[in-house]
Amino acid sequence: MTELVSDNAEVTVLLVDDNPQNLKVLYETLKDKGYRLLIANEGEKALDLAHRHRPEVILLDIMMPEMDGYEVCERLKADPETSDCAVVFLSALDDLQAKVKGFNLGGADYISKPFQSQEVIARVRTHARVIRLERELQARNRELQGDQTRILNAIDEGIYGLDEAGIIEFANPAAAAIMGCPVEDLVGRNFFDLHFSTASAARDNLPVMATCRQGVAENQRNIRMLRADGSGFPAEYRSTPKLEDDELHGAVVVFWDITVELQNEQALEDAQALVQEQRDQLAHTSRLTTMGEMAAGFAHEVNQPLTAITNYARVSKRMIAGETPDLDLLRETLDKIEAQSHRASEIIRRIRRFVKKPATGKEVLSVSVLLEDTRQFAEVDMRNNEGGIQLDVAEDLPEVAADPIQVQQVALNLIRNALESSRAAAASEPVRVTASRCGDKCVRVAVVDHGVGVPEEAEEKLFHPFFTTKDDGMGIGLATCRSLIQAQGGDIGYERPEAGGACFFFTLPVAGVEGQPCTEEPA
Amino acid sequence: MTDIQQTVYVVEDDEAVRDSLELLLKSDGKPVKTYESANGFLQDYSDEMAGCIVLDIRMPGMDGMELQKALNEKHSILPIIFVTGHGDVPMAVDAMKEGAVDFIQKPYREEALLEKIEAALEQDREQRQSLTEKQEIIRRVNSLTPREREIMDRMIAGQANKVIAIELEISQRTVEIHRSRVMHKMGTHSLAHLVRMVLSVKDLID
Repeated sequence: MTELVSDNAEVTVLLVDDNPQNLKVLYETLKDKGYRLLIANEGEKALDLAHRHRPEVILLDIMMPEMDGYEVCERLKADPETSDCAVVFLSALDDLQAKVKGFNLGGADYISKPFQSQEVIARVRTHARVIRLERELQARNRELQGDQTRILNAIDEGIYGLDEAGIIEFANPAAAAIMGCPVEDLVGRNFFDLHFSTASAARDNLPVMATCRQGVAENQRNIRMLRADGSGFPAEYRSTPKLEDDELHGAVVVFWDITVELQNEQALEDAQALVQEQRDQLAHTSRLTTMGEMAAGFAHEVNQPLTAITNYARVSKRMIAGETPDLDLLRETLDKIEAQSHRASEIIRRIRRFVKKPATGKEVLSVSVLLEDTRQFAEVDMRNNEGGIQLDVAEDLPEVAADPIQVQQVALNLIRNALESSRAAAASEPVRVTASRCGDKCVRVAVVDHGVGVPEEAEEKLFHPFFTTKDDGMGIGLATCRSLIQAQGGDIGYERPEAGGACFFFTLPVAGVEGQPCTEEPA
Repeated sequence: MTDIQQTVYVVEDDEAVRDSLELLLKSDGKPVKTYESANGFLQDYSDEMAGCIVLDIRMPGMDGMELQKALNEKHSILPIIFVTGHGDVPMAVDAMKEGAVDFIQKPYREEALLEKIEAALEQDREQRQSLTEKQEIIRRVNSLTPREREIMDRMIAGQANKVIAIELEISQRTVEIHRSRVMHKMGTHSLAHLVRMVLSVKDLID
């Protein structure tokens, strides 16, 4: 006789007895207590039900024909599906021998016949709860182990568990994939001997050694590790000590192959270097173009001292040819020759410096010296400008950190634009070049003219490449200026002056001040 | 004939060039006057100035070309030698069209510059002399009486005394007396010379 008694109970209790009367009493005792009750009147049926329904608690009569309770218990415990059930023996046998035998076979408890219903209820409840908790715990454990395994299997980083001597106790599949051999070939090997060519020579300094020996966490990039076949690869790793009760038990090492990472970084660096090179090239080309435009001016500028030198030399020769040469006057004239030759070489030095390639890199600069130099440079070009260039540098201006040639290139470009615009408007006011402090971190240089100004619709596009308001312009100048100033960590911009004309400004970082690029508004 | 004092006027903004050129020209025995701007020269300018101008074509403010135009408006006859730089040939060509005597490129050889200055001074002298001569001729023409002027015009037109006498209804003797006075007042004995003198100022009389 087998019967499913109560369907919706959480806990299943299997009642096994060959005596129908006893089964009835047990059933009456436990019904309405919230259990799902199964009943069996002989051993085979009991095993079958137990296997299929995995009851938490089995009330098992010892004295049964064919298969007695002991055998049933033994077989329940042997089946992994039912081994965790709580077996509570039922017997009239009230001797110690029987009880001990029952416990030895894995029985959980013992109820003597005739039963007290209170006792049955209490014992079933207790064992049901224990088994349920145990099963939940096991389920949770299995879940956790599953998660852990899945995580260990899923991640791309190799993971080793090492003991304090560096023997590999655990390796995840990724570690095996990286090392090019099965996990089994890794476990049991010495981490240091297996993965480092210098293991015998400089053991103390090997990666992870300090973690294994002193419990110090480590993190290193671009170390060279060996695969199982002896080939090397660049790796990054993190190692953390395994501590149990403050006692060091080796290390956990997470590592990964950074070959591709390094290649990508190199590619990025190469690309950045190329961009930088092309920017420098463009800046250089732009400087050469400027020099080309200014060539007539420079020829004139160099010819002035040469002309003066030739004249003075003639005068000197004539003096020497005279009967009583005036030596003082002669010396004075020779001094003038010297001064003029310095003047010529200074102009040439300035040109050569300006077209030098590549630019010199960042230096600590005096803005006032730089702007004065630039002003003299620009004056070559302003032969027909009535107003000229007026330089106005604040007295307590700090030095800036920037590339002098590139800054001069920008300043010269802005000043030449201003001169050209002033000329076009036949303005008699000078082009004003001012330098002032702007906040703690920046110096601001502004070039203001009273020229033809910038059309309102052009303002936005001023610094765009290939945008120009000049008939013969290429639209390269201001775009290059912006790229050059941004490379200095500064900013460049345009403001519309109320009095007309144009105002272009740029900022440069004060030397020794770290932080954001200089973009804030002037104080 | 009295020789007028010729001066080389140097207009040059660059102090070293100006100073050295002044020394050079002075050591060659030439009177020199220097100006550092075109405006400075223009303010100083008068008809009495004789000699030539050595003028830098590129200067801040008023440049050489603008000074040339301003002087042309004042009917200056001072020859101008433009001093140009390397890339200024197109400007120099314009300057020549406007009547400049010559131009010289910096840096120049002294000989070349002095040659050009000599030539310019010579031209100035000639222009001035011919100007003086023409003014004398005009003065003489203006000293003739209307009758004498009429007789002279007919002489130049090639009319014989007899024809002049008939057309003017005067005696041939009277014509001869007028003719003698014309020759005397015009300071010549030769009809050919008279014709040439009067033709040279043809545009300036009447």
